[in-house]
Amino acid sequence: MPQWFARGLRRGVVTTRYPARPEPSAAFLPTPPAFRPQRLTRETADTLVRICPSRALRRAGDTLTFDAGACTACGQCRAAEPEAVVTSGEFELAATSRSALIKRIPLRGEVGR
Amino acid sequence: MTADGRSAAVQAAAEKAAAELLRQRVVSLFGRSLHIRTLDTGSCAACEQEIRLLAAPHYDLHRLGFFFTPAPRHADLLLVTGPMLRAFAVAARKTYEAMPGPKLVVATGACALGGVYQPDAFSFGSVDQLLPVDVWIPGCPPSPLALLQGLMVAVDRLASKVPDLSFRVSADPAAGGSA
Repeated sequence: MPQWFARGLRRGVVTTRYPARPEPSAAFLPTPPAFRPQRLTRETADTLVRICPSRALRRAGDTLTFDAGACTACGQCRAAEPEAVVTSGEFELAATSRSALIKRIPLRGEVGR
Repeated sequence: MTADGRSAAVQAAAEKAAAELLRQRVVSLFGRSLHIRTLDTGSCAACEQEIRLLAAPHYDLHRLGFFFTPAPRHADLLLVTGPMLRAFAVAARKTYEAMPGPKLVVATGACALGGVYQPDAFSFGSVDQLLPVDVWIPGCPPSPLALLQGLMVAVDRLASKVPDLSFRVSADPAAGGSA
């Protein structure tokens, strides 16, 4: 007998809220990158912009623009610049406006100054 | 003049109170019951794989009151995947028009959000070029957990869409006062 069916019979509750409990499989999901502004220079930013296959990254002056909506979580930026880019672990990213998915990251690295 | 202004204000207040009452009623009645129509506008079917997993026991979206329906006429929410191919534009528009209001459009996956394809001769590049999108779910593909969270976000949006419906109430101060 499936567990959820037995649980429903025992407790009399068949529906749950979201999330019912912390999701263990979340740690294995591919997630968009997170950036460390202290490690980002103009040069590293330009490298990241160049290798991003889905054009999720753009640089204007000392700001790196990251579009989480365009990101496919391929991990190429993290592989190229492991010091500056880490896995965010964020997967619950749904937004009610497109612009809410666009993040601006200031470049605070030493070399770019 | 002043009396007119006051009656207009009373009318506006009564409408606002009625809208809020209706919104609360919709949330209590339909907040956890929503019928979803999926629409593939040229995706690679990875998003469809994840959407299909929503109905599997591990994710079990029915526990949250969400159901898939094959008919746009029965649907409250259009779950759109793919970069919106131009060949699919008429079908997509007709599907949207066939849905009863209030209705929601959820763009699902990086293609639908405009991350993968540029607008060209074959596709619009993103769903919001053709349909009014309410919720954006990023991911390539979005995991079932991400889809569930997106649907929960969409349910709250459905409640906020209700006051936009056209309806009038009588300018009865008692009704406004009691609300």
